[in-house]
Amino acid sequence: MPVITVTQINKYIGFILKGDKNLQGIMVKGEISNYVRHYKSGHAYFTLKDSESAVKAVMFSQAASRLKFQPEDGMSVIVSGSVNVYERDGAYQIYVNDIVPDGAGAASVALEQLKKKLAAAGIFDEAHKRPLPEMPRKIGVVTSLSGAAVRDVINVLSRRYPIGEIYAVNAVVQGEAAPDSICRGILCAEAAGCDVLIVGRGGGSDEDLSAFNAEKVAYAIYNCKVPVISAVGHETDFTIADLAADRRAPTPSAAAEIAAPDVQLLYEKIAQLERRAERSALSALDRASERFIALNARLLAQSPENRLKLSGMRLDELEKRSKTAVQHYLDRLSARLGENIARLDSLSPLKVLARGYSLVYKDGRLLASSDGLSSGDTVELRFGSGGAKAEITDKW
Amino acid sequence: MTKLSRIVSELEKGDIPLEKAVELYGDGLKLSAMCRKQLDEAQIKITEEDGAAVPEK
Repeated sequence: MPVITVTQINKYIGFILKGDKNLQGIMVKGEISNYVRHYKSGHAYFTLKDSESAVKAVMFSQAASRLKFQPEDGMSVIVSGSVNVYERDGAYQIYVNDIVPDGAGAASVALEQLKKKLAAAGIFDEAHKRPLPEMPRKIGVVTSLSGAAVRDVINVLSRRYPIGEIYAVNAVVQGEAAPDSICRGILCAEAAGCDVLIVGRGGGSDEDLSAFNAEKVAYAIYNCKVPVISAVGHETDFTIADLAADRRAPTPSAAAEIAAPDVQLLYEKIAQLERRAERSALSALDRASERFIALNARLLAQSPENRLKLSGMRLDELEKRSKTAVQHYLDRLSARLGENIARLDSLSPLKVLARGYSLVYKDGRLLASSDGLSSGDTVELRFGSGGAKAEITDKW
Repeated sequence: MTKLSRIVSELEKGDIPLEKAVELYGDGLKLSAMCRKQLDEAQIKITEEDGAAVPEK
Protein backbone atom coordinates (compact mmCIF):
# COMPACT_ATOMS: atom_id res chain seq x y z
CA MET A 1 0.00 0.00 0.00
CA PRO A 2 1.50 3.36 -1.04
CA VAL A 3 2.06 6.05 1.53
CA ILE A 4 0.38 9.38 0.76
CA THR A 5 0.81 12.81 2.30
CA VAL A 6 -1.68 14.96 4.23
CA THR A 7 -1.71 17.43 1.38
CA GLN A 8 -2.53 14.67 -1.03
CA ILE A 9 -5.44 13.44 1.02
CA ASN A 10 -6.86 16.94 1.53
CA LYS A 11 -6.51 17.65 -2.20
CA TYR A 12 -8.23 14.36 -2.96
CA ILE A 13 -11.14 15.06 -0.67
CA GLY A 14 -11.44 18.48 -2.25
CA PHE A 15 -11.53 16.85 -5.63
CA ILE A 16 -14.25 14.45 -4.53
CA LEU A 17 -16.36 17.28 -3.05
CA LYS A 18 -15.99 19.45 -6.16
CA GLY A 19 -17.18 16.58 -8.26
CA ASP A 20 -20.29 16.02 -6.20
CA LYS A 21 -23.20 17.98 -7.69
CA ASN A 22 -25.04 17.74 -4.34
CA LEU A 23 -22.39 19.92 -2.75
CA GLN A 24 -21.83 22.49 -5.52
CA GLY A 25 -24.06 25.49 -6.25
CA ILE A 26 -26.37 24.74 -3.35
CA MET A 27 -28.48 26.82 -1.01
CA VAL A 28 -28.20 26.20 2.72
CA LYS A 29 -30.52 27.48 5.36
CA GLY A 30 -29.29 28.31 8.86
CA GLU A 31 -28.55 30.90 11.50
CA ILE A 32 -25.44 33.06 11.42
CA SER A 33 -23.13 33.01 14.43
CA ASN A 34 -19.60 34.22 15.14
CA TYR A 35 -19.78 36.56 12.18
CA VAL A 36 -16.44 38.30 11.64
CA ARG A 37 -15.41 40.49 8.78
CA HIS A 38 -11.65 40.55 8.54
CA TYR A 39 -10.71 44.21 8.72
CA LYS A 40 -7.82 43.92 6.28
CA SER A 41 -8.86 41.41 3.66
CA GLY A 42 -12.56 42.16 3.86
CA HIS A 43 -13.38 38.43 3.85
CA ALA A 44 -16.27 37.41 6.07
CA TYR A 45 -16.09 34.32 8.29
CA PHE A 46 -18.99 32.86 10.17
CA THR A 47 -20.64 29.67 11.35
CA LEU A 48 -23.94 28.56 9.92
CA LYS A 49 -25.90 26.45 12.32
CA ASP A 50 -29.26 24.93 13.04
CA SER A 51 -30.55 23.28 16.22
CA GLU A 52 -28.27 20.28 15.91
CA SER A 53 -25.28 21.06 13.74
CA ALA A 54 -22.93 23.75 12.59
CA VAL A 55 -20.73 24.31 9.56
CA LYS A 56 -18.00 26.88 8.91
CA ALA A 57 -18.63 29.39 6.14
CA VAL A 58 -16.50 31.95 4.39
CA MET A 59 -17.47 34.77 2.06
CA PHE A 60 -14.73 36.50 0.18
CA SER A 61 -14.55 40.27 0.24
CA GLN A 62 -15.81 40.87 -3.28
CA ALA A 63 -18.98 38.86 -2.68
CA ALA A 64 -19.36 40.26 0.85
CA SER A 65 -19.20 43.87 -0.34
CA ARG A 66 -21.99 43.18 -2.83
CA LEU A 67 -24.39 42.45 0.06
CA LYS A 68 -27.10 45.07 0.46
CA PHE A 69 -27.40 44.40 4.18
CA GLN A 70 -25.07 43.69 7.03
CA PRO A 71 -25.16 40.02 8.20
CA GLU A 72 -25.46 39.75 11.96
CA ASP A 73 -25.25 36.97 14.50
CA GLY A 74 -28.59 35.32 15.11
CA MET A 75 -29.92 36.22 11.66
CA SER A 76 -31.77 33.45 9.79
CA VAL A 77 -30.43 33.32 6.29
CA ILE A 78 -30.19 31.26 3.17
CA VAL A 79 -26.66 31.18 1.78
CA SER A 80 -25.77 30.23 -1.77
CA GLY A 81 -22.42 28.60 -2.43
CA SER A 82 -20.47 25.37 -2.59
CA VAL A 83 -18.90 23.02 -0.05
CA ASN A 84 -15.14 22.68 -0.33
CA VAL A 85 -12.08 21.82 1.69
CA TYR A 86 -9.74 24.30 3.26
CA GLU A 87 -6.63 22.29 2.61
CA ARG A 88 -4.38 23.95 5.18
CA ASP A 89 -6.66 22.90 8.05
CA GLY A 90 -8.25 19.86 6.49
CA ALA A 91 -11.61 21.38 7.21
CA TYR A 92 -14.55 21.59 4.95
CA GLN A 93 -16.60 24.74 4.77
CA ILE A 94 -19.19 26.51 2.68
CA TYR A 95 -17.78 29.06 0.29
CA VAL A 96 -20.60 31.60 0.13
CA ASN A 97 -21.43 33.77 -2.93
CA ASP A 98 -24.58 35.38 -1.60
CA ILE A 99 -26.67 35.60 1.52
CA VAL A 100 -30.35 36.43 1.60
CA PRO A 101 -32.27 36.91 4.80
CA ASP A 102 -34.72 34.11 5.43
CA GLY A 103 -38.17 35.68 5.58
CA ALA A 104 -37.86 39.41 4.98
CA GLY A 105 -36.09 40.43 1.78
CA ALA A 106 -32.49 41.56 1.79
CA ALA A 107 -33.52 45.06 0.81
CA SER A 108 -35.92 45.45 3.71
CA VAL A 109 -33.38 44.08 6.17
CA ALA A 110 -30.82 46.50 4.77
CA LEU A 111 -33.31 49.31 5.11
CA GLU A 112 -34.08 48.47 8.73
CA GLN A 113 -30.38 48.33 9.47
CA LEU A 114 -29.77 51.69 7.83
CA LYS A 115 -32.67 53.19 9.73
CA LYS A 116 -31.18 51.97 12.99
CA LYS A 117 -27.78 53.30 12.09
CA LEU A 118 -29.06 56.73 11.10
CA ALA A 119 -31.29 56.89 14.15
CA ALA A 120 -28.26 56.18 16.31
CA ALA A 121 -26.38 58.96 14.51
CA GLY A 122 -29.19 61.37 15.43
CA ILE A 123 -30.27 62.00 11.85
CA PHE A 124 -33.94 61.52 12.76
CA ASP A 125 -33.82 63.44 16.04
CA GLU A 126 -36.86 65.55 16.74
CA ALA A 127 -34.59 68.19 18.24
CA HIS A 128 -32.98 68.72 14.86
CA LYS A 129 -36.28 69.33 13.09
CA ARG A 130 -36.58 72.95 12.16
CA PRO A 131 -39.77 74.98 11.90
CA LEU A 132 -40.85 75.90 8.40
CA PRO A 133 -40.80 79.59 7.47
CA GLU A 134 -44.22 81.15 7.92
CA MET A 135 -44.03 82.96 4.61
CA PRO A 136 -41.30 81.49 2.44
CA ARG A 137 -39.89 83.67 -0.30
CA LYS A 138 -38.34 80.99 -2.44
CA ILE A 139 -39.52 77.40 -2.36
CA GLY A 140 -37.06 74.87 -3.74
CA VAL A 141 -38.41 71.72 -5.40
CA VAL A 142 -35.96 68.91 -5.97
CA THR A 143 -37.50 66.24 -8.17
CA SER A 144 -37.73 65.09 -11.74
CA LEU A 145 -38.84 68.04 -13.83
CA SER A 146 -40.49 65.66 -16.28
CA GLY A 147 -42.57 64.01 -13.55
CA ALA A 148 -46.01 64.84 -12.20
CA ALA A 149 -44.67 65.89 -8.80
CA VAL A 150 -43.26 69.23 -9.93
CA ARG A 151 -46.47 70.05 -11.85
CA ASP A 152 -48.52 69.29 -8.74
CA VAL A 153 -46.37 71.56 -6.61
CA ILE A 154 -46.51 74.38 -9.16
CA ASN A 155 -50.29 74.04 -9.48
CA VAL A 156 -50.91 74.16 -5.76
CA LEU A 157 -48.52 77.03 -5.13
CA SER A 158 -49.73 79.19 -8.03
CA ARG A 159 -53.22 78.95 -6.63
CA ARG A 160 -52.44 79.23 -2.94
CA TYR A 161 -49.30 81.29 -2.76
CA PRO A 162 -48.70 83.36 -5.89
CA ILE A 163 -46.47 85.79 -3.99
CA GLY A 164 -43.75 83.17 -3.69
CA GLU A 165 -41.10 81.94 -6.01
CA ILE A 166 -40.51 78.36 -7.05
CA TYR A 167 -37.03 77.15 -7.75
CA ALA A 168 -37.35 73.71 -9.32
CA VAL A 169 -34.20 71.66 -9.61
CA ASN A 170 -34.17 68.68 -11.89
CA ALA A 171 -33.05 65.47 -10.21
CA VAL A 172 -32.94 61.85 -11.25
CA VAL A 173 -35.29 60.10 -8.86
CA GLN A 174 -34.76 56.48 -9.72
CA GLY A 175 -31.91 54.25 -10.69
CA GLU A 176 -28.32 54.22 -9.57
CA ALA A 177 -27.63 57.87 -10.33
CA ALA A 178 -30.62 59.00 -8.27
CA PRO A 179 -29.10 59.42 -4.79
CA ASP A 180 -26.22 61.58 -6.03
CA SER A 181 -28.53 63.54 -8.26
CA ILE A 182 -30.92 64.24 -5.38
CA CYS A 183 -28.05 65.31 -3.11
CA ARG A 184 -26.78 67.68 -5.81
CA GLY A 185 -30.30 69.05 -6.26
CA ILE A 186 -30.56 69.79 -2.54
CA LEU A 187 -27.22 71.62 -2.53
CA CYS A 188 -28.19 73.52 -5.65
CA ALA A 189 -31.54 74.69 -4.22
CA GLU A 190 -29.86 75.62 -0.97
CA ALA A 191 -27.22 77.63 -2.83
CA ALA A 192 -29.94 79.39 -4.83
CA GLY A 193 -31.22 80.91 -1.59
CA CYS A 194 -34.39 78.87 -1.13
CA ASP A 195 -35.79 79.13 2.37
CA VAL A 196 -37.62 75.82 2.31
CA LEU A 197 -37.21 72.71 0.14
CA ILE A 198 -39.57 70.07 -1.13
CA VAL A 199 -37.72 66.88 -2.02
CA GLY A 200 -39.55 63.97 -3.53
CA ARG A 201 -41.39 62.35 -6.35
CA GLY A 202 -44.79 61.01 -7.19
CA GLY A 203 -45.94 57.68 -5.80
CA GLY A 204 -44.35 54.41 -6.80
CA SER A 205 -43.55 50.92 -5.64
CA ASP A 206 -40.98 50.27 -2.95
CA GLU A 207 -38.38 49.70 -5.60
CA ASP A 208 -38.92 53.12 -7.11
CA LEU A 209 -38.39 54.81 -3.80
CA SER A 210 -34.99 53.32 -3.11
CA ALA A 211 -33.20 56.59 -3.84
CA PHE A 212 -35.10 58.13 -0.94
CA ASN A 213 -33.83 55.36 1.29
CA ALA A 214 -30.20 56.11 0.49
CA GLU A 215 -27.90 57.04 3.32
CA LYS A 216 -26.35 59.97 1.48
CA VAL A 217 -29.76 61.45 0.74
CA ALA A 218 -30.58 61.26 4.44
CA TYR A 219 -27.37 63.13 5.26
CA ALA A 220 -27.98 65.70 2.51
CA ILE A 221 -31.40 66.41 4.01
CA TYR A 222 -30.04 66.47 7.55
CA ASN A 223 -27.20 68.82 6.63
CA CYS A 224 -29.33 71.13 4.51
CA LYS A 225 -29.28 74.61 6.02
CA VAL A 226 -32.97 75.23 5.39
CA PRO A 227 -35.95 73.06 6.37
CA VAL A 228 -36.80 70.18 4.05
CA ILE A 229 -40.24 68.72 3.40
CA SER A 230 -40.19 65.18 2.05
CA ALA A 231 -42.83 64.26 -0.48
CA VAL A 232 -42.12 60.74 -1.59
CA GLY A 233 -45.69 59.93 -2.39
CA HIS A 234 -46.05 56.86 -0.28
CA GLU A 235 -48.79 56.78 2.29
CA THR A 236 -48.04 53.62 4.18
CA ASP A 237 -44.32 53.40 4.71
CA PHE A 238 -41.84 56.05 5.72
CA THR A 239 -38.72 56.29 3.64
CA ILE A 240 -35.47 57.32 5.25
CA ALA A 241 -35.82 60.68 3.51
CA ASP A 242 -39.18 61.10 5.30
CA LEU A 243 -37.59 60.35 8.63
CA ALA A 244 -34.67 62.70 8.05
CA ALA A 245 -36.83 65.54 6.72
CA ASP A 246 -38.09 68.34 8.93
CA ARG A 247 -41.64 67.64 7.77
CA ARG A 248 -43.13 64.74 5.85
CA ALA A 249 -45.92 65.08 3.33
CA PRO A 250 -47.78 62.14 1.82
CA THR A 251 -47.78 63.67 -1.68
CA PRO A 252 -46.07 66.54 -3.52
CA SER A 253 -49.36 68.49 -3.49
CA ALA A 254 -49.59 68.08 0.26
CA ALA A 255 -45.98 69.19 0.57
CA ALA A 256 -46.80 72.36 -1.34
CA GLU A 257 -49.68 73.02 1.02
CA ILE A 258 -47.43 72.56 4.04
CA ALA A 259 -44.71 74.74 2.51
CA ALA A 260 -46.75 77.91 2.21
CA PRO A 261 -49.92 79.40 3.67
CA ASP A 262 -52.99 80.05 1.56
CA VAL A 263 -53.00 83.60 0.28
CA GLN A 264 -56.63 83.82 1.43
CA LEU A 265 -55.39 83.65 4.99
CA LEU A 266 -53.10 86.56 4.24
CA TYR A 267 -56.03 88.65 3.04
CA GLU A 268 -57.82 87.83 6.27
CA LYS A 269 -54.75 88.65 8.28
CA ILE A 270 -54.46 92.03 6.57
CA ALA A 271 -58.13 92.77 7.24
CA GLN A 272 -57.65 91.77 10.85
CA LEU A 273 -54.59 93.98 11.22
CA GLU A 274 -56.55 96.84 9.68
CA ARG A 275 -59.37 96.36 12.16
CA ARG A 276 -56.93 96.34 15.03
CA ALA A 277 -55.19 99.47 13.72
CA GLU A 278 -58.51 101.22 13.35
CA ARG A 279 -59.62 100.30 16.83
CA SER A 280 -56.38 101.55 18.34
CA ALA A 281 -56.43 104.75 16.32
CA LEU A 282 -60.02 105.42 17.36
CA SER A 283 -59.24 104.83 21.00
CA ALA A 284 -56.28 107.21 20.71
CA LEU A 285 -58.72 109.70 19.23
CA ASP A 286 -61.17 109.12 22.07
CA ARG A 287 -58.47 109.64 24.64
CA ALA A 288 -57.34 112.81 22.92
CA SER A 289 -60.85 114.16 22.64
CA GLU A 290 -61.56 113.47 26.29
CA ARG A 291 -58.46 115.37 27.23
CA PHE A 292 -59.43 118.16 24.86
CA ILE A 293 -62.86 118.44 26.40
CA ALA A 294 -61.41 118.58 29.89
CA LEU A 295 -58.76 121.13 28.96
CA ASN A 296 -61.23 123.21 26.98
CA ALA A 297 -63.57 123.37 29.94
CA ARG A 298 -60.71 124.62 32.09
CA LEU A 299 -59.69 127.14 29.45
CA LEU A 300 -63.21 128.50 29.03
CA ALA A 301 -63.43 128.94 32.75
CA GLN A 302 -60.52 131.35 32.51
CA SER A 303 -61.79 133.37 29.50
CA PRO A 304 -62.27 137.18 29.98
CA GLU A 305 -65.88 136.84 28.99
CA ASN A 306 -66.46 134.25 31.63
CA ARG A 307 -64.54 136.20 34.19
CA LEU A 308 -66.64 139.29 33.40
CA LYS A 309 -69.74 137.23 33.77
CA LEU A 310 -68.43 135.87 37.01
CA SER A 311 -67.62 139.40 38.24
CA GLY A 312 -71.04 140.60 37.16
CA MET A 313 -72.63 137.80 39.06
CA ARG A 314 -70.55 138.64 42.05
CA LEU A 315 -71.48 142.31 41.77
CA ASP A 316 -75.14 141.47 41.59
CA GLU A 317 -74.81 139.36 44.59
CA LEU A 318 -72.93 141.97 46.53
CA GLU A 319 -75.54 144.52 45.55
CA LYS A 320 -78.27 142.23 46.66
CA ARG A 321 -76.50 141.60 49.92
CA SER A 322 -75.93 145.28 50.57
CA LYS A 323 -79.55 146.03 49.75
CA THR A 324 -80.80 143.47 52.20
CA ALA A 325 -78.38 144.73 54.79
CA VAL A 326 -79.69 148.30 54.45
CA GLN A 327 -83.22 147.04 54.48
CA HIS A 328 -82.56 145.10 57.66
CA TYR A 329 -81.08 148.15 59.24
CA LEU A 330 -84.04 150.28 58.29
CA ASP A 331 -86.46 147.64 59.49
CA ARG A 332 -84.69 147.48 62.79
CA LEU A 333 -84.73 151.25 63.11
CA SER A 334 -88.42 151.48 62.35
CA ALA A 335 -89.19 148.70 64.77
CA ARG A 336 -87.34 150.57 67.49
CA LEU A 337 -89.11 153.76 66.57
CA GLY A 338 -92.44 152.02 66.86
CA GLU A 339 -91.46 150.71 70.24
CA ASN A 340 -90.41 154.14 71.45
CA ILE A 341 -93.55 155.71 70.13
CA ALA A 342 -95.60 153.17 71.99
CA ARG A 343 -93.66 153.84 75.15
CA LEU A 344 -94.05 157.58 74.70
CA ASP A 345 -97.67 157.09 74.06
CA SER A 346 -98.17 155.20 77.29
CA LEU A 347 -96.48 158.04 79.18
CA SER A 348 -98.66 160.72 77.61
CA PRO A 349 -100.75 162.72 80.22
CA LEU A 350 -103.70 162.44 77.90
CA LYS A 351 -103.74 158.72 78.66
CA VAL A 352 -103.84 159.55 82.43
CA LEU A 353 -106.73 161.89 81.85
CA ALA A 354 -108.55 159.18 80.02
CA ARG A 355 -108.40 157.13 83.19
CA GLY A 356 -110.35 159.93 85.09
CA TYR A 357 -107.66 162.35 86.17
CA SER A 358 -107.95 166.08 85.36
CA LEU A 359 -105.46 168.88 84.83
CA VAL A 360 -105.87 172.29 86.45
CA TYR A 361 -104.48 175.39 84.74
CA LYS A 362 -104.42 178.96 86.10
CA ASP A 363 -103.59 181.65 83.64
CA GLY A 364 -102.43 178.92 81.21
CA ARG A 365 -100.06 177.32 83.73
CA LEU A 366 -100.54 173.81 84.93
CA LEU A 367 -100.91 173.70 88.70
CA ALA A 368 -99.29 170.95 90.71
CA SER A 369 -100.40 172.38 94.13
CA SER A 370 -103.01 174.66 95.63
CA ASP A 371 -100.40 177.23 96.66
CA GLY A 372 -101.09 180.55 95.00
CA LEU A 373 -104.76 179.91 94.74
CA SER A 374 -107.24 182.14 96.51
CA SER A 375 -111.02 181.91 96.82
CA GLY A 376 -112.70 183.52 93.92
CA ASP A 377 -109.90 182.66 91.40
CA THR A 378 -111.02 181.24 88.14
CA VAL A 379 -109.22 178.10 86.89
CA GLU A 380 -109.47 175.99 83.72
CA LEU A 381 -110.02 172.24 83.96
CA ARG A 382 -108.88 169.73 81.29
CA PHE A 383 -110.49 166.30 81.26
CA GLY A 384 -109.71 163.31 79.17
CA SER A 385 -112.21 164.68 76.79
CA GLY A 386 -113.32 168.31 76.89
CA GLY A 387 -112.72 171.15 79.46
CA ALA A 388 -114.48 173.59 81.82
CA LYS A 389 -113.94 176.82 83.75
CA ALA A 390 -114.37 176.74 87.56
CA GLU A 391 -114.26 179.19 90.47
CA ILE A 392 -112.34 178.38 93.62
CA THR A 393 -114.58 178.56 96.66
CA ASP A 394 -112.28 177.26 99.26
CA LYS A 395 -108.69 176.14 99.58
CA TRP A 396 -106.51 173.90 101.93
CA MET B 1 -46.79 92.41 6.31
CA THR B 2 -44.28 92.18 9.14
CA LYS B 3 -44.01 95.94 9.13
CA LEU B 4 -47.80 96.20 9.23
CA SER B 5 -47.92 93.87 12.24
CA ARG B 6 -45.29 96.02 13.94
CA ILE B 7 -47.22 99.19 13.31
CA VAL B 8 -50.40 97.66 14.70
CA SER B 9 -48.56 96.48 17.81
CA GLU B 10 -47.14 99.98 18.21
CA LEU B 11 -50.62 101.44 17.89
CA GLU B 12 -51.98 99.00 20.45
CA LYS B 13 -49.46 100.11 23.05
CA GLY B 14 -51.97 102.77 24.06
CA ASP B 15 -50.92 106.05 25.69
CA ILE B 16 -49.40 107.19 22.42
CA PRO B 17 -50.10 110.76 21.40
CA LEU B 18 -52.84 111.33 18.85
CA GLU B 19 -50.49 112.79 16.24
CA LYS B 20 -48.36 109.65 16.45
CA ALA B 21 -51.45 107.42 16.31
CA VAL B 22 -52.75 109.21 13.25
CA GLU B 23 -49.36 108.95 11.58
CA LEU B 24 -49.08 105.23 12.39
CA TYR B 25 -52.63 104.56 11.30
CA GLY B 26 -51.95 106.30 8.00
CA ASP B 27 -48.77 104.29 7.49
CA GLY B 28 -50.64 101.11 8.39
CA LEU B 29 -53.39 101.78 5.89
CA LYS B 30 -50.84 102.47 3.18
CA LEU B 31 -49.03 99.24 4.01
CA SER B 32 -52.19 97.14 4.10
CA ALA B 33 -53.26 98.56 0.74
CA MET B 34 -49.81 97.75 -0.57
CA CYS B 35 -49.97 94.20 0.80
CA ARG B 36 -53.38 93.69 -0.75
CA LYS B 37 -52.20 95.04 -4.06
CA GLN B 38 -49.19 92.75 -3.95
CA LEU B 39 -51.45 89.78 -3.27
CA ASP B 40 -53.85 90.81 -6.02
CA GLU B 41 -51.14 91.22 -8.58
CA ALA B 42 -48.87 88.42 -7.46
CA GLN B 43 -47.81 85.99 -10.11
CA ILE B 44 -45.75 83.04 -9.04
CA LYS B 45 -42.19 83.08 -10.33
CA ILE B 46 -40.83 79.78 -11.56
CA THR B 47 -37.22 78.99 -12.25
CA GLU B 48 -36.28 75.59 -13.55
CA GLU B 49 -32.78 74.40 -13.04
CA ASP B 50 -31.15 71.33 -14.50
CA GLY B 51 -29.55 69.92 -11.39
CA ALA B 52 -27.32 67.62 -13.39
CA ALA B 53 -25.56 70.64 -14.92
CA VAL B 54 -24.49 71.91 -11.51
CA PRO B 55 -20.91 70.94 -10.73
CA GLU B 56 -20.46 68.98 -7.56
CA LYS B 57 -19.13 70.94 -4.61
